[in-house]
Amino acid sequence: MKTKKLAELALLTAVALIIFIIELRIPNILPIPGVKLGLANIITVYAVYKFSAKETLMIVATRVILGSLFSSNFSVIIYSLSGAIMCLVGMLLVKRVIPLKYIWLCSIIGAVFHNTGQMITAVIMMRSFAVIAYYPPLIISGCIAGLFTGLCAGFVLKRLPQSFK
Amino acid sequence: MTKGVKICIAAVTAVFIGAVIATAIIFRHAESEYVEIIQDNQIIYTIDIANSENRTFRIESDDGGWNDVTIEDGKIYISDADCPDHTCIKTGVLRSESVPIVCLPHRLVIRFSDKNGE
Repeated sequence: MKTKKLAELALLTAVALIIFIIELRIPNILPIPGVKLGLANIITVYAVYKFSAKETLMIVATRVILGSLFSSNFSVIIYSLSGAIMCLVGMLLVKRVIPLKYIWLCSIIGAVFHNTGQMITAVIMMRSFAVIAYYPPLIISGCIAGLFTGLCAGFVLKRLPQSFK
Repeated sequence: MTKGVKICIAAVTAVFIGAVIATAIIFRHAESEYVEIIQDNQIIYTIDIANSENRTFRIESDDGGWNDVTIEDGKIYISDADCPDHTCIKTGVLRSESVPIVCLPHRLVIRFSDKNGE
């Protein structure tokens, strides 16, 4: 791996972590576990278009593991990790058919996959289907949050210097 | 706009609308204030939880197991049980008509009653 690429990936991971830690300060508005904006996803969706699948996975895995450590929520890392990996898989799949212009769409689909991954993990971990009742509201919040982060990523992309696009 | 984008937009819209409808169904406020406690498919209690004093009572099953049912401020939940998985406790407060509290090992179901009590 070239040093320049390594530095770029490290920088993006650092930015994602900073966004993640700032977001921890935003209180949850709904009493449903798992509802959040997921602002760090701005970096993920950007990386999906800019870097290879392997490089994006490195950014996401580092961010999730370090983020869980920083937020002292390490016990629920399985939920974060399963969600993040499902999200990445979903976005890599739809990236082939969705051009950069519609990056917000890619982000929404990523968010829906994220919620689905977490829901599957929750059903397996709790050995109960009762948590499924939270799935539809999670999808709604995921669609809205995904649209928001995707539009953010779009605006960022517009303002980036040509060399970063 | 390519065909792929259109399909994706349609899929996302369908999922979103589906989720809204499902949420509306699951989280609609239960019209019934009467709760049935069912054991082995037999209704053993019908309780008007809105006008019921706060209390905890134990329901024993045939095989010696038990569930502690708590009524508190018009809400009902299973506070303790000796079943191995404790799914019924994790379910929490009974909120919705479509999601009952179920304890499979003791064949116990707590749900809102269809008819408004008698």
